Amino acid sequence: MLTQYTALVSALKNLTQGESPNTETLPVAEYEWRTRPDTDSYGIVALEFEADALNGDNRKTARAFEGSVDLYSRRKDGGGWIELIEAALTDHCESAWTLNYHSYERETQIFHWEWAFQIEG
Amino acid sequence: MAFRMDVTGMADLIHKLEQIGEKAQSAASLALYEGARVVADAVSREVQGIQTEPFKYAKGGRKRLPSPEEKEAIMGSAHGVSKFRKRIMKVDTSVGFNHAGYANVNFNHMNSKARTNYKEYAMKGHGSNSTSFLKATGKYERGLQNQKPIGAIAGAINSGTSFMKKQPFMRKAFSTSQGAAEAAIENKLREELDKLSLD
Repeated sequence: MLTQYTALVSALKNLTQGESPNTETLPVAEYEWRTRPDTDSYGIVALEFEADALNGDNRKTARAFEGSVDLYSRRKDGGGWIELIEAALTDHCESAWTLNYHSYERETQIFHWEWAFQIEG
Repeated sequence: MAFRMDVTGMADLIHKLEQIGEKAQSAASLALYEGARVVADAVSREVQGIQTEPFKYAKGGRKRLPSPEEKEAIMGSAHGVSKFRKRIMKVDTSVGFNHAGYANVNFNHMNSKARTNYKEYAMKGHGSNSTSFLKATGKYERGLQNQKPIGAIAGAINSGTSFMKKQPFMRKAFSTSQGAAEAAIENKLREELDKLSLD
């Protein structure tokens, strides 16, 4: 397992907002961890595939892997988890991440954010 | 992800492009098509690899996979390369789906730079900024495809939803074809310039 990715997953799993009594973490399967920070929001982090090039200086200087973090929340502001997730991404992926997608599911009334990141292998 | 690539080491090509003047746009268009074709082929490959299961409602926190019918709807002719947009200094195009992930591929023939970037859901199907994707099939089949919310299905599979498992086929296709696409642009440009027999 990639060290950098493992560290990112640990950081995401450890995300808590103060002393929230609803906080729980749920490990799922290999290459995928799920963290359920509260009853209104939950996140998924997954390593997806090897990228063609590391996102830096436009040259493939090392193996790079791409993954994503998804946050689903019933709250429009993401319940404050957006800032925490982005801080964790900055800590572990430096600047190789971006908010890739944001949507609202009308049927389930859930907001969805997706961040894509690249890490060195 | 801020995908961007510049092709470098093309100083000789810049000199040749300056010499051919108005013909540069035509050569750039042909070169760009080669790059867009590589990206479109990668999208086709990734669409083929989408996992499916018979339709079942997602319950109890379980996320469902797309049904074979949903995969069939987005396969083949349902995605493609948009019309080329020719501007003074560059030509550009997009590869992907309306309302879903797509890749922008452009080639600036004034400085010989090819650039690609990837966007999610930024393209709208209507309005002044809309781009209609050309389809390789006949008129009748196009009509049938247009009745299905192909962009929405592709978007749900590509980015996932609270009830559908995510399979980022567009992002993977683009991320793994960037290098090949830009090499194809450079090779085709050299070929076109050779045809013009310029020194």
